[in-house]
Amino acid sequence: MRFFSSSVFSSVLLVAAGVAEAASSWNFDEAIISVQSKGAGNGLKDKLSDHVPLAKPVTFGPTDALKIVLTATEGGKAKRPHQAFLLLRDQDTGLEATLPFSVKETGKGKVDFTQKDLPPQLLTSSQPLRATLLIASFGPSQAFSNHVFDLDVQTDPSAPLPPYEKPLRYGKLAEIHHIFKADAKSGPKIFSLFFALAVLATVPILFGAWAYLGANVDHLAKATKTAPIAHTLFFGAIATMEGIFFMYYTSWNLFQTLPVAGVVGLVAFLSGSKALSEVQSRRLAGER
Amino acid sequence: MRWLLSFLFLGLLGVAQALSASGNRLLVVLEELDDKSKYSKYFGDLEGRGFQITYESPKSESVGLFTLGERAYEHLLILPSKSKGLGPNLTPKILLEFINKGGNILLTLSAITPTPTALVSLLLELDIHLPTERNALVVDHFNYDTLSASEKHDVVLLPRPDTIRPGVKNFFKGDGKGGEVIAFPRGVGQSLGNTSPLLTPVLRAPRTAYSYNPKDEAESLEDVFAAGPQLSLVTTMQARNSARFTVVGSAEMLEDGWFTGEVKRSVGMGGVGTDAKKVKTCNQAFAKEITGWAFQEIGVLKVGKIEHRLNEGVRSNITNPKIYRVKNDVEYSIELSEWSWDKWVPFTPVAEDVVQLEFSMLSPFHRLDLAASGTTTNSTVFTTSFKLPDQHGIFNFKVNYKRPFLTNVEEKNTVTVRHFAHDEYPRSWVISGAWPWIAGIAATITGWLGFVALWLWSKPVPLKLTTSGKKIQ
Repeated sequence: MRFFSSSVFSSVLLVAAGVAEAASSWNFDEAIISVQSKGAGNGLKDKLSDHVPLAKPVTFGPTDALKIVLTATEGGKAKRPHQAFLLLRDQDTGLEATLPFSVKETGKGKVDFTQKDLPPQLLTSSQPLRATLLIASFGPSQAFSNHVFDLDVQTDPSAPLPPYEKPLRYGKLAEIHHIFKADAKSGPKIFSLFFALAVLATVPILFGAWAYLGANVDHLAKATKTAPIAHTLFFGAIATMEGIFFMYYTSWNLFQTLPVAGVVGLVAFLSGSKALSEVQSRRLAGER
Repeated sequence: MRWLLSFLFLGLLGVAQALSASGNRLLVVLEELDDKSKYSKYFGDLEGRGFQITYESPKSESVGLFTLGERAYEHLLILPSKSKGLGPNLTPKILLEFINKGGNILLTLSAITPTPTALVSLLLELDIHLPTERNALVVDHFNYDTLSASEKHDVVLLPRPDTIRPGVKNFFKGDGKGGEVIAFPRGVGQSLGNTSPLLTPVLRAPRTAYSYNPKDEAESLEDVFAAGPQLSLVTTMQARNSARFTVVGSAEMLEDGWFTGEVKRSVGMGGVGTDAKKVKTCNQAFAKEITGWAFQEIGVLKVGKIEHRLNEGVRSNITNPKIYRVKNDVEYSIELSEWSWDKWVPFTPVAEDVVQLEFSMLSPFHRLDLAASGTTTNSTVFTTSFKLPDQHGIFNFKVNYKRPFLTNVEEKNTVTVRHFAHDEYPRSWVISGAWPWIAGIAATITGWLGFVALWLWSKPVPLKLTTSGKKIQ
C-alpha cells in the first residue's frame, strides 16, 4: 500500500513537473498484456496502467508467449518514440534484460517473447522479475518510465534449465584444509586402564598361587654362603638386563644397548655357570 | 665524496620515479598537434604529476614505441584520429607487443570521429566489442545534460561509479560523498565478453541508456547493440603481466570544456532530478583517477619480505628453511605495499576481500586467509600459522593474489616436506590403546624375575600323604 501511495505521489510530481516546464511528456494508451500458452486456450489478458503496476504478478510458464501491445503518445497524440523498452530486472542480482518494442509510424508498438528470449540468469531468480516500461525520444518531451507489472517466471521442473556456468572472476576463494588420513585414535582411556590393571593384577595372583603351593626362598642364605659372588652377580645381571631393555625402550639406541647388554650377558654367563653348579650341588645333595 | 654522489644519484632516482610505479615517459598520439590545446588542462595535470609527455601524430615517421627492441615509453595515450588506421608504426600487433612488454595504454574513442578499424580489431582481440555502426553513440533520454544536449540527449550524466561487486576496491569514487556528476559527451559504448576475468568495466551506462546509430534516428530502435549497465563506457583490462589497457568511450570528456563546464540534469526515472540545479562536472577528478590507474599511479602492489619458519610452541629463529617435516606447525608471513600516487603505503584489502596463502603440490592442500599482523610505514605484514599436511613431497607456499584494479601478485616459495623419521613417531605410552600391552610386559618381567629367584633359592616342601595315599603338599 505504501508503494502504491508513493508511486501515485511521484506520478503526481511528474505531472506537476510536466506542467511547470510546459513540455509535453511521453506516455501510452491501451497497453494490453496477454500471455498465450501453447496448446492451452486463452491465457491471461489484462490492461496495463501508466501509474500503478498490476496487482498480481503475471505468471509466465515454460511454453508461454508474452505479448504487449501499446500505443505510444507524446502529449496525448500517438507518435513513434525512439526508445520503447521493456526492462526485466532480477531483484536478487540487479541484472536487467532489455526487450525493445517494434513501433510503427503510428506509435503502435508490440513486443513478444518467450522464456527462450530471456537470459538464463533471469529464469532462476527467486523473486518475480520487475518489469519497467520506458518510452522516450529526443527533444524536450519528458520521458516515461514506470514499473508496470511483475513477471513470475515458472520453469519446467522436468526439463533441465539452460546451462549456465558462472564465469571466472578474480576474488577470494573458499578455504581448504585438506587432510589425507586423520590421526589414528585410541578407544576410551577407561577401557585401556581397566585392562592394564587387569593384566597387572595377574602378578599378585601368580605370586599368591606360588606362595600357596609352598614356594619360598629359604635356600637364599645357604646359596649366598656357598657362592655369594656368583649368586649376587647372576641375579643382578638378569635384573640389569631387564633394566637395559627398559632403557632401550625409553631412550637408548641399539648402539648404546648392545655393548652394555654384551657385558651384562657375559657376566650372566660366567656367574650363571657357577650359580647353577651350586644349585646342582644342592640337588645332588638331595636338598631339592 | 663518493657517498655524497651516490646519495645524490639516489635522490634523483627518487624524483624520477615519484609519480608512477612503472615510469614517466608518456607518448600521446593525436592527429593534429594543434588539438593539444583542447586538452590543455588534462595535459597540464599530467605534467604536474611528473609525466614527460611526447606528442606525435600517427602520420609522423618518427613515431615508434620501441627503440632497439626496448620500450621507448612506459605509457601510451591514443586520442581519436580520423584516419582509418594509426599507420605502420602503431599497428595492433605493435600495440599488443607494447602491452606484452609491460606498457600501459589509454585509448580514447569518440562518436564524432569513427574508431579506426585497426583499433576495433585490437579491441576485439581483447574481447571488447564496439558497435558495428561506425558512428554509434550513447544516449540516455533520462540522464542527459539539459544545457548542452536538450535535443540530442547525447551528453550522458552519471554519478561516480559504484563498486562492481563486493570485495573489489573502488578507486574511482572520489571522496565518496556522492552527488558528483560525470559528463560523458558523445561517447562510444563498449560491450564486454563475459569470459575474461581480465576485463573490468569502470563506468557503466545508466539503466535507461543505449547505443544507437544516428543515421537511423528517424526510425524506432529495434535492434539494440547494448543497453543499460551492459554498456560499458570506461573499460579496463589488466593483462597477466599487470600492464594496463584502458578504454575511455568519450575523448571529449577529457577536454577543457568539460573539466570546468556546468551541467544540469534532466528528469530521470521515477521523477528524480525534477528540481536539478546547475552543477560543475567532476570530470577533472575522474580523469585523474582513470589516468592514474591506467598509468599505474594507483593500485600497484609490491611484495616485500616473505618469511616462513617453524613454530612449534616456540618460534624458530631459522627463517625460510628448505625442509620441513609432515605435520610441522609453520608460520608464514608476507609483506605487501601499495603504490598510491607518489609513495608506497601499507596495503589493506577492502572488506570482504582477503589475501590468501596456498600450500600446494600440484593443487592446493591448504588455502588459508592471511591476517594483517602488523604494519610498517609503507607495508603491511600478513601472517598465518598452520599445520603442514600429512603428506611428504615438494610443496609451494603460494600467494596468488589477483584482483581487479590491483596488479597481480604471484609469489611461490618451494620447500621440501619430509616424512617422519623412525624416532619421531609418538611413543607407545602416549597411545592409550597400548597400555594393556605395556602392562603385560611389566607383568611378564616381574613374573620372570620371581621365577628365577624361586628356581635358584626355593626349598622343596616335604611331601605329605593323604589318607587315600595321594600326594599333597
